[in-house]
Amino acid sequence: MPSSFIQSFKILNTLYKNIHQEIIDRCREGNRQSQSQLYKLYYKAMYSVSFRILNDRMEAEDVMQEAFLSAFRNIENYKGEVSFGAWLKRIVVNRSLDQLKKRRIKFEEVTEKTAQISESEMETTAVNIQTVKEAIQDLPDGYRVVLSLFLIEGYDHKEISSILGITNSSSRTQLLRAKNKLRNSLAGKELFLNN
Amino acid sequence: MKKNDKIEELIFNNREQLNELEPDEGHFERFETKLENLHKKRHFSFNIIWKVAAAAVFILLLTNQAYLYFSPNSEISFFSSKKTNSVTLASVSPKYKEVEFYFTNAINVELEQWNTLKSKGLLSKEEQNMMNNELNEFENRYKEIQKDLAANPNDKRVINAMLEYYRAKLSVLNMIVKKLEEVKQKKNNYETNI
Repeated sequence: MPSSFIQSFKILNTLYKNIHQEIIDRCREGNRQSQSQLYKLYYKAMYSVSFRILNDRMEAEDVMQEAFLSAFRNIENYKGEVSFGAWLKRIVVNRSLDQLKKRRIKFEEVTEKTAQISESEMETTAVNIQTVKEAIQDLPDGYRVVLSLFLIEGYDHKEISSILGITNSSSRTQLLRAKNKLRNSLAGKELFLNN
Repeated sequence: MKKNDKIEELIFNNREQLNELEPDEGHFERFETKLENLHKKRHFSFNIIWKVAAAAVFILLLTNQAYLYFSPNSEISFFSSKKTNSVTLASVSPKYKEVEFYFTNAINVELEQWNTLKSKGLLSKEEQNMMNNELNEFENRYKEIQKDLAANPNDKRVINAMLEYYRAKLSVLNMIVKKLEEVKQKKNNYETNI
């Protein structure tokens, strides 16, 4: 990639304009009503993120709400380089992972080579999204976290390996294993969307 | 992303639905309570910060005022700018009056001699410039010591500095005038001899 492109991309990024910029600005001033408003706008997405990591409704709610409070306390650190949602999500992810670590979950360090795991093919074309949600929930913690961060939250392996403290290759391996497991559990549960 | 990776495709296409999870009922009220606590804490801490800041400013002002009113030096230094011009050793202590009188007199004698040399047209431009520079320098030094004297009228060091100043000025003037007269004398002798 030419450096000039990266530069202009960075400039564009620094000028990020949020859809809810006015509300965010009022939150910056510590306006309580605006903070409630912002919560209403983002709680579902943030709760979903936290729940996918923790797989526990009470814990996920608590972590999500604490993340909001922490965001309001530290809102001066939000410089607008990324969208507010992305910034908030980073806090939610970090706090959810901290909470998960308290359960003494160890992110598996895999020594096998990534290439040794082959991907099984899935034949069905359409599966009910609700079924997928449930199948993700049934995944073991380590797999579920890596799969969620990669496929849903849009983190790359480099970011995942650094926040989880694992190697790049074991992040890749875990993702492949998680996908295989997901495929297996979805096999036979296929539903056509028009049903 | 692999083309035939249905899992990735499925999840990617349904990202919005995956982020629509609703927390348990009453979550908003629970959050409002937490938000309330956050504001109480913050309000409290802000109050304390303001009170401390206000108290600090008040104390600072008070001590400053007290210092202005009660400090014996402050009055002198406050008016010193007006007095500067008239402050002399004699005004500080009468026992230096005589010394000062002696020095100013002696210096004036030297200056008069200088002026007679000048009026006779015996001095070159260069010599005159040199003398003017010297006198200006002495004048500046004098003003400095006067300021010090006004601020610290009883400081022995300042008084000594003033005495030293007079002594230096007198000896420099004396030396210059003497040398010039010697030179002119020689010149005169030389000319008359021829």
